[in-house]
Amino acid sequence: MKVRWGPQHPVSGQWSFFLDVDADVVVGMEPDVGYTHRGIEKVAENRTYIQDVPIVERACIFDAGNFVFGYVEAVEELMGIEVPERAKFIRVIVGEMSRIASHLYWLCLMSIAVGLETMLMWPVNDRELFLDLLEMLTGIRLTYSYFIPGGVRYDLPAGFREETERRMDYFERRLKDYYKMLYLNRTFQMRTKDVGVLKQADAIRMSVVGPNLRGSGVKIDVRKDEPYAAYDQIDFTVPTESEGDTYARSLVRFHEMEQSIFIIREALKKIPSGQIRVNVSPSVPKGEVYSRVESARGELGYYIVSDGGNKPYRLKMSAPSFRSLLSLPQIMRGVPMADVPTLYMSLDLIPLDVDR
Amino acid sequence: MAAVGFLGLFLDFLFSMYFLELLLKVVVFPGLMFISLFAMVVIWFERKFLARIHLRIGPLHVGPMMGLFQPIADFLKVLGKEIIVPSNAHRTMYNLAPILVVTISGMGLAFIPFGPSPSVMSIKNWVIYYTPFNLLLILMFFTIRPLIAIGAGWASNSKFSTIGALRAAFQLLAYEVPLLISIASVIMLAGSFDLIQIVQSQSKVWFIILQPIGFLVFFVAMMAELGRRPFDLPHAEQEIVFGWPTEYTGIQFMCVMLAEYIDLCVGSLLITALFLGGWLGPAFIPPIAWFLLKSLIVTVVIIMGRGVFPRFRMDQLLDLGWTVLIPLALIQVLVVLALAQFAPWILPNVTLGG
Repeated sequence: MKVRWGPQHPVSGQWSFFLDVDADVVVGMEPDVGYTHRGIEKVAENRTYIQDVPIVERACIFDAGNFVFGYVEAVEELMGIEVPERAKFIRVIVGEMSRIASHLYWLCLMSIAVGLETMLMWPVNDRELFLDLLEMLTGIRLTYSYFIPGGVRYDLPAGFREETERRMDYFERRLKDYYKMLYLNRTFQMRTKDVGVLKQADAIRMSVVGPNLRGSGVKIDVRKDEPYAAYDQIDFTVPTESEGDTYARSLVRFHEMEQSIFIIREALKKIPSGQIRVNVSPSVPKGEVYSRVESARGELGYYIVSDGGNKPYRLKMSAPSFRSLLSLPQIMRGVPMADVPTLYMSLDLIPLDVDR
Repeated sequence: MAAVGFLGLFLDFLFSMYFLELLLKVVVFPGLMFISLFAMVVIWFERKFLARIHLRIGPLHVGPMMGLFQPIADFLKVLGKEIIVPSNAHRTMYNLAPILVVTISGMGLAFIPFGPSPSVMSIKNWVIYYTPFNLLLILMFFTIRPLIAIGAGWASNSKFSTIGALRAAFQLLAYEVPLLISIASVIMLAGSFDLIQIVQSQSKVWFIILQPIGFLVFFVAMMAELGRRPFDLPHAEQEIVFGWPTEYTGIQFMCVMLAEYIDLCVGSLLITALFLGGWLGPAFIPPIAWFLLKSLIVTVVIIMGRGVFPRFRMDQLLDLGWTVLIPLALIQVLVVLALAQFAPWILPNVTLGG
């Protein structure tokens, strides 16, 4: 039987799958992408570099911080400028808050995929902690366009450090609750352990990125391997799990949230005073650059070609969701139909990011 | 004045106490109004209670007690919705199924005695129709319901409905056998299929204490029977949209939902009657109030599952039913048999083996 999973299915998101189902077993799966294609890469060619900042963050608004992070890092590399130290630390803080907010959003989707509504509501509630902090810092909760080539737009507001500390303490307690509620839940373990195993060799072959790859036991993190901004001054660990199943991928994201808290605390401790921005010329010298950052969903690459004007000649994004999507048909082969939403959510795919 | 013949018999029946009593029972207490009130309060409670677990507020604005009338508002809204029949559906079966499912669920309620009086028709005895085999009849109506689900899923001619219907059938396989075996040990202890007898034989000690394993098996199987999380596979919203009633709209959808809550009511009344001593309790409140109070507590525990459990997968549910629940239920039967044979003084009112 052919089942069309989406785009009006409760958990499909803005795309659909063509599932080939034999009784209860999925024998084939084909993702049908393109529902949210907005031509972001083409739009970016027609706008100046500073105007492109709000455009690229709309590729994945759940993780807006890291998406702009990658873009400004690439543009700065093309310009050959060094941003002030303080701006680097502020960028790290915003990037990690964006990562936590994105992982919390994933956590609620994952929980609803296995049918646990409580853990749908709790992370959404606690995501507000970070959205409020980002609003305090940038004025906007979600699409904040806070990074610009040359630095960041505003300095840390008064009381930001104390407020962040307070919320981090609370959030750490909440993470323990999450662990008890979801990860130690026998039923959740039954539903996720040994389900959708992505072997290490397959994961590498299919160029899976981010927490999905680390869940298969590959220790790769751009923040560690090729440190950008202030990540080289912070000694954090990269959590990995070797099983490669849905539970391992979930656990990696959980531990990443703990590491993000650690990074934010360290960054707030080590942040120097000084400038937050250097002035840059609107035109970018001729050349091309490939720059990558670690977004919440994994490695995010920007390839920018400049012809010397104030608009990019070509902007190409290597989006993490698209790269992880390639492994979805592989892990969905031969599973019962009840596991389809679990597997889909376990890879943390966002259709916006796939289509761009 | 007096009419003769069939009409006379009919008029006599119409103005007899018997008919008025029946009418009162069907319309008011164990019947329609009670079940509507039960559904309203339970839906309200479920939403508020889960909202507290979720750190939300839940319904707030309609009626007193923070949104008590929200279910009524929802009902009125759904009442105004258009009834849509899919173009290639089997119209007769499709339209019949919601009526059947709510009727058959309600039929189970007609046989539950709400009080101790065993007389056939008395206003003190709140049962619509009394028969000594009422437990068997209630179980029969429980078992018929998935068949209607299968019919409705097939008649809808939609993929998700069909999958949901098949899941309802699978679920029947998983829970029906342990449910019946765990009831067998209760029947052996009480020596009767009559719920009144079963409750009266718990007058010294409740059956939950005499057979805790049987109670657990029955409770889990009943949760699967009612389709409450973690066993709400026939409806699994994230997987198959809404299962077999996916295509229903408006009042037909409301019938399906009402049937779910009637089943919840009958299920918790059964758990209370079989294991928790039914209407037995200290005399400061009437027996019927004890019965309703206990079953409301059971309902709350059943609802609680939605706050803490993810959903099982079908193979895991079948695994649970056949490799855990059935052996446990059989062990309980053996324990009861052994006790009756070797230590009959433990068991009150045992009729087993003479």
